[in-house]
Amino acid sequence: MNPFWSNIFKNSGYEQTLAYFLGTMPMFKKLDKRELAFLENIVHVRNYEADETVFSEGDIGSGMYFIRSGQIQIFNMNEHGHETEQAILESGDFFGEIALTASRPRCASARATEPTILVGLFRSDMFEAVRRHPAPSAKIMLGLNRVISDRLLQCSIQLEELKKQLIHNRKQQTDA
Amino acid sequence: MHNQNNMSRAQVAVLYLVLTTSIASGIAIYSSASIITGLLKTATVDLFLPMLISLIVSFLLDPTVQFFEGKKINRTLSIFIVYFLVFALVFLLLLIIGPPNWKGMMQALQADFPRYVSGAIVYLSGLLATAQQHFPFITHYDIVERLSSVSQSFFGLILKETPRSAMRIGSLLLLVPLFSFFFLRDSRRIMRSLISLSPNRYFEMVLDIYANVSWQLAHFIRGRILEALIIGMVVWMGLSLTDIRYAPILAVVAGASNLIPYIGPIIGMIPGLVIALVDLGMGGQFWWILCVYFLIAQVIIDNFILIPILISKVSNLHPLWVILAIVMGGKLYGVLGMIIGVPIASIINIIIISIHQYRRSFNPYQRYFTSRGKLL
Repeated sequence: MNPFWSNIFKNSGYEQTLAYFLGTMPMFKKLDKRELAFLENIVHVRNYEADETVFSEGDIGSGMYFIRSGQIQIFNMNEHGHETEQAILESGDFFGEIALTASRPRCASARATEPTILVGLFRSDMFEAVRRHPAPSAKIMLGLNRVISDRLLQCSIQLEELKKQLIHNRKQQTDA
Repeated sequence: MHNQNNMSRAQVAVLYLVLTTSIASGIAIYSSASIITGLLKTATVDLFLPMLISLIVSFLLDPTVQFFEGKKINRTLSIFIVYFLVFALVFLLLLIIGPPNWKGMMQALQADFPRYVSGAIVYLSGLLATAQQHFPFITHYDIVERLSSVSQSFFGLILKETPRSAMRIGSLLLLVPLFSFFFLRDSRRIMRSLISLSPNRYFEMVLDIYANVSWQLAHFIRGRILEALIIGMVVWMGLSLTDIRYAPILAVVAGASNLIPYIGPIIGMIPGLVIALVDLGMGGQFWWILCVYFLIAQVIIDNFILIPILISKVSNLHPLWVILAIVMGGKLYGVLGMIIGVPIASIINIIIISIHQYRRSFNPYQRYFTSRGKLL
């Protein structure tokens, strides 16, 4: 069959919705449909053009973003204005989660490299949600916590490896 | 010198035409704009008060609605529950205490008003006479004449305004519950769509400032209204212990005037003191009433208990701004404007302060500088 026709009738409408997209994110995997609908009501959908800045390094951040479609470049700028690319994020990735629970400065800049749709989850909305609907908010926060802990774990493992390598290198230097 | 002759006749004509058309179209735009704003003004003049009151009501009821929402009842239903509870409470109060006879009291007050004014005048002129005895250099100031003319015009105003305000209250009773229902149900959605209009670069800032301002506003409005209610209750109870008449009306005056900082409480206690002086004389009851107004309501309850608990989280206005707001509010909307002028000024103050605070932490030029202030 022509793929052009097969797609329309197979996909139920739900798979096109924002709630479904949020459900595919690792931190929101354990939310049920009702909680996803609640989450859908506290996020903001923002459209970015190519080369538009999402935020700059040093800005006081107020929340995190999920990439629904498009591409985001994360980079640092040194004192001479040279950019160092840190990562290229694609649809389904997320960034900026450090600023979600406290107003911390952004540690890198983010810029859209093509027309991009971001879904933003912001601190003020999250705080209000925690006040008004504690149960689903707790689940959302737990999911976020899980993801951030995983990242922390990864980081500490890598740090450990780097330390070992450093000691090893030093030993080689002193031996030589 | 050649430049002046460079323009040909046709160019001058075109220039002249362009200038005249631009001036004419400017005038046309200006006049049509003023017509449109005039139409808007006449269309919205009666909506200002109901909108304001329903905003305040929705701020007041929001915590209770949230309480029911927390019990997994949807928002519309919880608003209906809160409405039902409020109406039931008012009805019950009227049933138990019995409605204070407002109408009869107003009529009696209208009859008594000239007596109180003349009593106050007599007392004041007596005071003035003793003052002149002790300090002969005070020139004779015709306070009696002035006071009686002012009070008569004020009294005429009240007589004229009463039927109009009764009609207004009727329309308010209809409009305010309706408006505040929609504010309660949809304010989040309305504000979200308004905020999402802001450009990407400033979106986070707008969101943060909005969250801060709305938090402060909610606390400020709830705190002020609760403070006025409690002060009114305290004054009512204090006055009920004496033989003074019109205690409910005086309590309402004291509560409402308490919304105006600094000056309000003083103005609010004048009618009570005058009535006490004329009806009860300068006895123990007069001093008790003064004590109720000043020491109990203002100093103990308001300054020591209510303000630290309710309003200290929100920054206060400078007295100069308070006076300016009262004068300007009075010019725009009369007595009502005097009462709501200060809260509106405080709201503007809160907005300005939180924008300022945000700009201090969110510096849009920060990315061009290093942490040591060097240009990148």
